[in-house]
Amino acid sequence: MSYNQRETPILAELCTFLVEDVYGELAARVYSILARHGRQTLAAVARASYLNGRQIKYGLVILLQQHLIFHSGGEPPVTYYEIDWQNSYAVVRFGKVAKLVEDRFGRKAANVMSNLLTLGHTRIADLKEAYFPPDTESDDDSDDGVVNGAGLKRKRAYEAHVNGKATKLNGVVNGVPAELDDVKPDPQSLANGDHATNGTSKAAKANGTAHATVIEEVEDNDEIASVDELYDIIRLLVERGWVRTVSDTQYLSPGDMHDMLQQRAIEEELGGAAMTGTKDKEKVHRKTQQLKRQIRDEWLIPPKFSRKRGDDGSNKRVKINGANYASAHKASSPEDELVVRVNPEKVSVAMRTEQLVQLVEQRLGPVTAYIYQTMLRMLEAHTPRCYEDFPEPPLATGEVVAEITMDPRFLVNARDIAKRLPRDFDVLEGLDPNAVTAVTRKGHVHRSNILSTAIDPSNLSMDEKTQLVDKHIRLLAEDPLHFATWHSRAGFSQWHIEFEEIAKQLIQSEVENTISARKGSLGVKLIRALRKKGKLDERATCNAMMMSAADIRGIVNDLTVQGFVQTQEIPKVERREAKHSLHLVWYDRQRAREKLLHDTYKGMVRIVQRIAFEREKAQPLLSKAERSDVVGNEAKWLSKSELDALQKWKEVQEKLLLQLFREDDLVATLRDFHGPLVSV
Amino acid sequence: MASAAPPLAVPKVEEAAVQQPNNEVVSPADALYDRCGERSQGTVFFQRDLSNMQVAGTMAELTMLLQELCDRHLMKLMTLEGEPCWKLRSRSDADKLRRLTPDERLLYHHIDQAQTEGIWSKALRARTNVTQQVLTKCLKSLESKELVQSVMSVKFPNRKMYLLKHLQPSEDIAGGPWQSEGDFDAALIEAVSGAIAQYVENETCIKVPGNWNDYEQHDRTAVIAQKKAQVQGLRDIEEAPAVKPYLSMGDPTASKVVHKNSPQYPTAASVANWLNSKGILRGKSCREDDMEQLLEMMVLDGRLEKISGTSYRTVLTAVDTKVYNGFVDAPCGNCPVFDLCGDEGEISARTCVYFGQWLETQSEEI
Ligand code: SF4
Repeated sequence: MSYNQRETPILAELCTFLVEDVYGELAARVYSILARHGRQTLAAVARASYLNGRQIKYGLVILLQQHLIFHSGGEPPVTYYEIDWQNSYAVVRFGKVAKLVEDRFGRKAANVMSNLLTLGHTRIADLKEAYFPPDTESDDDSDDGVVNGAGLKRKRAYEAHVNGKATKLNGVVNGVPAELDDVKPDPQSLANGDHATNGTSKAAKANGTAHATVIEEVEDNDEIASVDELYDIIRLLVERGWVRTVSDTQYLSPGDMHDMLQQRAIEEELGGAAMTGTKDKEKVHRKTQQLKRQIRDEWLIPPKFSRKRGDDGSNKRVKINGANYASAHKASSPEDELVVRVNPEKVSVAMRTEQLVQLVEQRLGPVTAYIYQTMLRMLEAHTPRCYEDFPEPPLATGEVVAEITMDPRFLVNARDIAKRLPRDFDVLEGLDPNAVTAVTRKGHVHRSNILSTAIDPSNLSMDEKTQLVDKHIRLLAEDPLHFATWHSRAGFSQWHIEFEEIAKQLIQSEVENTISARKGSLGVKLIRALRKKGKLDERATCNAMMMSAADIRGIVNDLTVQGFVQTQEIPKVERREAKHSLHLVWYDRQRAREKLLHDTYKGMVRIVQRIAFEREKAQPLLSKAERSDVVGNEAKWLSKSELDALQKWKEVQEKLLLQLFREDDLVATLRDFHGPLVSV
Repeated sequence: MASAAPPLAVPKVEEAAVQQPNNEVVSPADALYDRCGERSQGTVFFQRDLSNMQVAGTMAELTMLLQELCDRHLMKLMTLEGEPCWKLRSRSDADKLRRLTPDERLLYHHIDQAQTEGIWSKALRARTNVTQQVLTKCLKSLESKELVQSVMSVKFPNRKMYLLKHLQPSEDIAGGPWQSEGDFDAALIEAVSGAIAQYVENETCIKVPGNWNDYEQHDRTAVIAQKKAQVQGLRDIEEAPAVKPYLSMGDPTASKVVHKNSPQYPTAASVANWLNSKGILRGKSCREDDMEQLLEMMVLDGRLEKISGTSYRTVLTAVDTKVYNGFVDAPCGNCPVFDLCGDEGEISARTCVYFGQWLETQSEEI
């Protein structure tokens, strides 16, 4: 099962809060039933709640639309619903995603992305309508009666999503908290400019899921001017893997998916016969993993986009959409019927880039960090995910599966980077002056390490720039974390990045950071000693740390209590006497990682709860400030102390949200960049 | 080094000594002893060295004299690379030895054999077959006569190791230069690692002043911003010139340390050499192994980092502000009642004093 799909009670609690914040109470109530009881049928959900059938269905529709739950499309008539933990948690990242997209593709793309996040999966045509409302209301979506009535059988529900989304949600919106009004995909409210962005950012702000500033500063030139431009943006996002098309199989939970594919593997490998013996098992396992990879990779194949809109295009979407195509807009592009959603795995990749760049900045300075950022973003385009969820199992004989030759798309050289640097970028900074003169061959270095002839970075030739960039890359490569690894000399040196190893180091450094904050350098020293040497008894620990036993006993105890180190007593004599036993201490990275992840979830829950508490205290004031006569005339209707209190609430909320997002960064490091660790 | 003679020969010698106390004042034997005493202390004498002294006329006489000196404990027979050889004992030691009981002498002999490595009391008992009481008694008496000493082993902390009084315990039992009396010498370690950190930094890093590359800024926005600042007579922080877009300004006083371009990375061997040449350890010398232990410890301490299998460099951080991570920087990450804190009840986010302090807001009274 996917590492992301592992659920703990605390994660369930956190996700329930997040869902309630963003999607309102009804969705949250349905969600919490699934969170508490696990996989359920509609009937079971109904039994476990006080909601009526209609309400539950509405709830489920919202959850499905946002991909917060899976459903087993298994044998009708029974459909099971199950929470998608990864996507549920991802709600906290909405704001971050918009920011990441903005940094890479600009504000317009970020705007499209925010809308996609708000809407859940979306038909491209609906997105288009949101930006460019048609003159007359299309009646193509008017079959919501069917949808809402019986739409929860898998097939139906799915078609309904594809076809009648807007109407369906409109129906749902009635009777749910006002929060959802903001995300109501009424085409008008999604239009360009202020209205749309306000809607998004307000929802986001109120719900604690966005860097509010990102979306608020909308300038005029951020408007998407034409349908073509919108399509180009969508196409770019799809091609870069940020957005993927939706298909039936994405609704299957990892468990269901596994069953289905294992069954298929058995049919293909063993002709449907029952598995007997380890050999068969291995064969089937290998095939299953392969099928899982295959299915997943298919989700990411970008569909062909027609060059000219309005062409009577080929029927690419038929595959996805089936018969519904017939009822689609006649005068529209062939890709209109595609249903797309944000690809959460890509978000992790981008978050990894950001964190690595931050780390390099801390260790090697901003210039090297910027070069690294350029390098990583070039690689991002071809990196669909941080780690392989379904790795090829090792051969039984123990030999490693033949090393696949490095895909040239994962290689970077200094020249590619140099070409992408801004003209006035000071590539000289952060280097040893001697390295600089070695490249430029101008002047020399004074004893005080000052250049005899100053060099203006904007006058460097491309060759010189390239060599200087290479010096920075060498700094990256020499670092003990090996941020880059030399690959070959083809052309200028080519480099690749061993993300696996670096991700492990990131996890380790977060564990160390945590211990350092709590216990200072002594705790970190102990952890490092144990990590390096494995299980140690007291004497060996003393030797590694070069300290006396009395000085380290306390810290061993403290870290044991906190769950970061493990201890073990091995009796040497028959009667278990402590005096005669061997006392071993060790550090298990995976355990420490899980403990820290769990605690971080808990920390996030507390922050969310505190936000709720602070809001509750400010509520009377907030209600007053939101009154229509007050809005815009705050100075007139609110007293000085009320204004101050309002300001204070905003600051408090901002501080808490910022912390929440930083905790999310930690979750990403601990959970999303690397699969389970095997250590000790 | 010389190793002691096989134990078989010993009892015989000792018995002889006990049975025939010899009190001659000036004899050829004493003359030989005195001649040997003229050489520097600890010298090992081979047969030809002794015959070259020409105290004894014939080889047979020399053998007799040596036997006598050995019987009187003034000399000790040893073998070195298969050849017999002799070493002097001081007269006072010999005196003490003559007064030992046979048991004591037996133990003394075994302890002597172990030399600087020392011998564990249990091993001593196993080799000599004496009872525990005798062992304890004899060892006490030997210690009180200042013939042997006991040292706690560093390798096996609950083992008492015995060796001759005048010997310096080997590193195996007393630990390397970093230990004294079986424990790490924190002050020494601190001082030495400080010096090493500085040395390694000089070798692997370079200090670059802020104005190291003082080229003309001709960034237009910068020029404009500077003009504007001049006109207004004040510098608007918001519009501070984005001269070097990703850095602060080249302030000549603000220097920073960067990694050297392809330096000679120090290794345990090279740092040990450097340290020994500086004489910081006062008399003691530092072997490569000792240095490796210290450098590895400095890596754990975060002062050095390992570059490849054997080389080290200084850990640099480009930013001073220490932030840990989102979790521990928030109140809960460092909360003493974290495990007790619940969704509701006396300890919860609503009632939390830490959040109250952090946000400067009121928490719910319990
Ligand atoms: S909410 Fe307060 S009491 Fe509870 S864990 Fe966090 S800091 Fe501690």
